Amino acid sequence: MDPSLYLDRDTWVHRLDPRTKMFLLIGAFVLAFIFLDPLYELVVLALVLIFGYMAKSLENLRRIWFILLAVGLLTLVLWSLVGGGRTPLFLFVELESVLYGLSIALRIDTTIIAGVIFLSTTRNEEVAIGLVKLGIPYRFAFAVTTALRLVPTIASTGFTISQAQRSRGLDLDSGNILQRTRKYVPLLVPVFVTTIRSTNVFSMALESKGFGAGGKRTFYLRTALGGRDVVVLVVFVVLLAASVALRVAGYGTLEGFSG
Amino acid sequence: MEPAVSVQGLGYRYRGQQKPALEGVDLEVAEGEFVVVMGPSGAGKSTLCVSLNGLIPHFFRGRMEGEVRVRGHSTREGRVGEFAREIGLVFQDFEAQLFSTNVALEVAFGPENFAVERDEMERRVNSVLGQVRLEGFEDRQPATLSGGQKQRLAIASVLAIEPRILCLDEPTTDLDPVGKLGVFEIAEELKNRDDVTLIVVEHETEETLDADRIVVLREGRVVADRAAREVLRDVELLEESGVMPLQVTRFFHEMGLWQGQLPLTPEEGAQEFRQRGWRISQERHRELVDEDEERTQGYGEPIIEVGGLSHRYPNGFAALEGVDLTVRKGEFLAILGQNGSGKTTLVKHFNGLLKPTGGTVKVGGEETTEQGMLRLGQSVGYVFQNPDHQIFSDTVSDEVSFGPRIREMEGAEIKERVDEALSAVGLEGRGEEDPFGLTKGERQRVAVASVLAVRPEVLILDEPTTGLDYAEQRSMMELVARLNEAGSTIIVVTHTMWVVAEYAHRAVVVREGKIELSGTVREVFSREDELWEASLRPPHIVSLGNSLGYPVLSVDELVRVTEGG
Repeated sequence: MDPSLYLDRDTWVHRLDPRTKMFLLIGAFVLAFIFLDPLYELVVLALVLIFGYMAKSLENLRRIWFILLAVGLLTLVLWSLVGGGRTPLFLFVELESVLYGLSIALRIDTTIIAGVIFLSTTRNEEVAIGLVKLGIPYRFAFAVTTALRLVPTIASTGFTISQAQRSRGLDLDSGNILQRTRKYVPLLVPVFVTTIRSTNVFSMALESKGFGAGGKRTFYLRTALGGRDVVVLVVFVVLLAASVALRVAGYGTLEGFSG
Repeated sequence: MEPAVSVQGLGYRYRGQQKPALEGVDLEVAEGEFVVVMGPSGAGKSTLCVSLNGLIPHFFRGRMEGEVRVRGHSTREGRVGEFAREIGLVFQDFEAQLFSTNVALEVAFGPENFAVERDEMERRVNSVLGQVRLEGFEDRQPATLSGGQKQRLAIASVLAIEPRILCLDEPTTDLDPVGKLGVFEIAEELKNRDDVTLIVVEHETEETLDADRIVVLREGRVVADRAAREVLRDVELLEESGVMPLQVTRFFHEMGLWQGQLPLTPEEGAQEFRQRGWRISQERHRELVDEDEERTQGYGEPIIEVGGLSHRYPNGFAALEGVDLTVRKGEFLAILGQNGSGKTTLVKHFNGLLKPTGGTVKVGGEETTEQGMLRLGQSVGYVFQNPDHQIFSDTVSDEVSFGPRIREMEGAEIKERVDEALSAVGLEGRGEEDPFGLTKGERQRVAVASVLAVRPEVLILDEPTTGLDYAEQRSMMELVARLNEAGSTIIVVTHTMWVVAEYAHRAVVVREGKIELSGTVREVFSREDELWEASLRPPHIVSLGNSLGYPVLSVDELVRVTEGG
């Protein structure tokens, strides 16, 4: 099992400077958050997906489709029930609250998908360089990328451990929620123990390779803002500005929803 | 000339520990020397390693006495990062040290920290990857490499800083025989360079023949520090120190040769054997073969039947293709093969962790796909390689009773089974202890006990001796042999060849998803050329016997069949 999300492909997205990609990621969040009309949210999602397609990164979505579906459905149902509106649909559910739920669901999924595309096209090391070039100290930048790296590592340790415990007869699929939660103890304890142990070795290895030995540091990866970055940034800034203008002009909102 | 490393009166006690890990250690290593450090678990070998680059006293908490100087600089002064330029340290757990997204970046990390210019960095990446034979792997993700390749990458990532001293902590523990050889070839080349000093912690004696000097540690103290060949000939010292002596040397020692004359390698041994006019008694060798035969006749009915088994992983990788295998009741089977050959994939089919994508696997006459893991676990127990991947309870007996509890047995029955399992693994009366306070060898036993408590008919052990020292390996395998004699069917997956030779009855060699060789251990180990092709090497005593024309499996067997001594 390959624990990391990064896909080593040669696309123009991969070749963008990490700072550009960070800006695009934050921009995608902004786009997803300024609108409330599900139709507009759908357009934003479509844009993100087209971008992901060009970056040849959509295959990673197959690994998280369940999360996307679960989060999306849960949000939709919750807001439909909790929210209020003007147009009754059935029972105590109103049209506006359903639409609102749909928007929020799309918004959350869009941000997750944008994040996955970012991680599929940007190496951990590039994230670090990007942060350093934005003026963040290397130690902090390294800590951020280590946290990103730890997630898939823990996932793959967890997989091995669940095999070991299933071999002993642990059955994670039956029982009510409380019983099931208790069944995860045999997984969590070894995951913690193993992770802490390997993190300890990891930090020793870092020190032994001169991490933080001197103030200055060079980078093996070459990154520079090039013509491509400028074009992408300009296009994206125009898009952002246009979206904000639309929103200020009153488009893309949801009438009649009351929380 | 100033020594590369000078250790004077070094003592260290970790915080919270009663006993010191090191006590009064004096050691000097000259520039360009190749020194091997040996000793049982808990002797202080790793503590010594981390003392050399300043992790002790700067990273660990505890009390340090004495002094360590690296090329003249005391480790008490200055930071760990600064010593990295002088001494490179490669840790035993190579998985945990690799963190980059590709091989080139992993190697470049050290030079980056020392602000090496981009062009120079590229030169070093190329040259170091050449040294560890990983050219062409620059863009690969470290996670996709084999164990041996990962260890070589870990070494490369340290070499790129161009330290004058390299310290490797048990670099071959987790590797298959050919992976081990690859690491030692690198060591060999570094040894030939005068400007690199090499300090290697190792517990496999066969790998230490090229060292200049061997230092033996026991309970935190140096008990021997002499020329390598001299230490290797001192069979008694090694045995007392919990280190496995060379088998050829032990054979001649038992035949009564004087210490100074003892040969070390199979080649030297064969020559000595012939020169002395010794012979192998054909009659007694015949007895050995007959005993094998008799044992084979004694097995019961088939318990695991594999027919035309294929397994293809979701990513398309064909791990097994058309495997046929029958395991009968009472067998002691060893499954051999290099990393990635498919041997673990094969055994994971026996307890239902994997389902065949082609062919069938039957346990007790019924297909595994019909049985479900809970029921299969009743007949096939699986002990994973790393006990820390399964231990989660506060007490040993809670851990061991997990299997019976989950199968909803009664209190009295559970207690009986826990007691039985604990006494089978030699941990009787220790049920109330905290498993995390035990040694690795003991935790391994807890893992075995927790599987035994279900009373499975078949016991699968994945690398049961990895990470254990010689004495622990022996007692672990004695335990397994006792279980086999008491009627359990045993399947071990292992890289440790002497364990196979001395304990298993039958061996199966898996290579590229197919069964390459199958037969009694004696038959399989007599085919040295075919083993080499599968990246395996029989132990020294087997090689000696083969070159004399009579396959033997242990020192004792060779003593038994030798005439004229």
